[in-house]
Amino acid sequence: MKMSPADDLKFEVHTTSGRGFTPEEIAQRCADKIVAVSDTAPPAIRDQALAYKRNITKVIEFYLREVVKSDRTTVYNAINDAGHPELAELIRRL
Amino acid sequence: MAFTGNFMCDSFKKELLYGVHDFANGADVFNLALYDNNADFTADTTAYTATNEQTDGANAPAGGKALTNVDPSVPGSNTAITSFNDLTFSTVTITARGALIYNTTPNTTSISVTNPAVVVLDFTADKTSTSGDFTIVFPDATAAAAIIRIA
Repeated sequence: MKMSPADDLKFEVHTTSGRGFTPEEIAQRCADKIVAVSDTAPPAIRDQALAYKRNITKVIEFYLREVVKSDRTTVYNAINDAGHPELAELIRRL
Repeated sequence: MAFTGNFMCDSFKKELLYGVHDFANGADVFNLALYDNNADFTADTTAYTATNEQTDGANAPAGGKALTNVDPSVPGSNTAITSFNDLTFSTVTITARGALIYNTTPNTTSISVTNPAVVVLDFTADKTSTSGDFTIVFPDATAAAAIIRIA
């Protein structure tokens, strides 16, 4: 019986400064979780998987942008309802 | 002292045989805490410590943040695995060189433990967020890559 992690453990640390992650960055991370293909896979299979991954990355990115916009609407209304219309407007214009 | 690699803690291996850890989704609460390179973690590490921990208010509190467990499974190759969802410390100013995953709610029926260590993660270099997000991206939950594998 063998237990890992060991030297073959491949986790990543992603950081940002002065901003959050963009929809593109999170979409790429999401696609990496959904589609994985070995570098040693037969070329036809590997190429098809990578093409699918590129397509699904774009779809995820689009819907993440939709979430951001929709959540911003929610935040705008919450701040506006709390009596801070100028701050709400700043949020709306982001 | 410094981080010297990734380790599955020896005490954790023993504790598995005592039934201390339950990785089912919604079961035991495993936290991930961040540390600078003065931390002295190896396979001999047995439990969480606040020494050299890196924190930033409520968004990166002492003790770290709770992970979301991925149910254990046997995805293939006679290998049992478990993992965690990616973890983000949002809007933090922090520099960390590594992390410790530990169990905040162990089963102590057969052995007395407090915040027992599971895995030591070495980032191999300082990672910094300045008023930004700090995310640990876990490997795929597969027999070949998952963060915790028993083969």
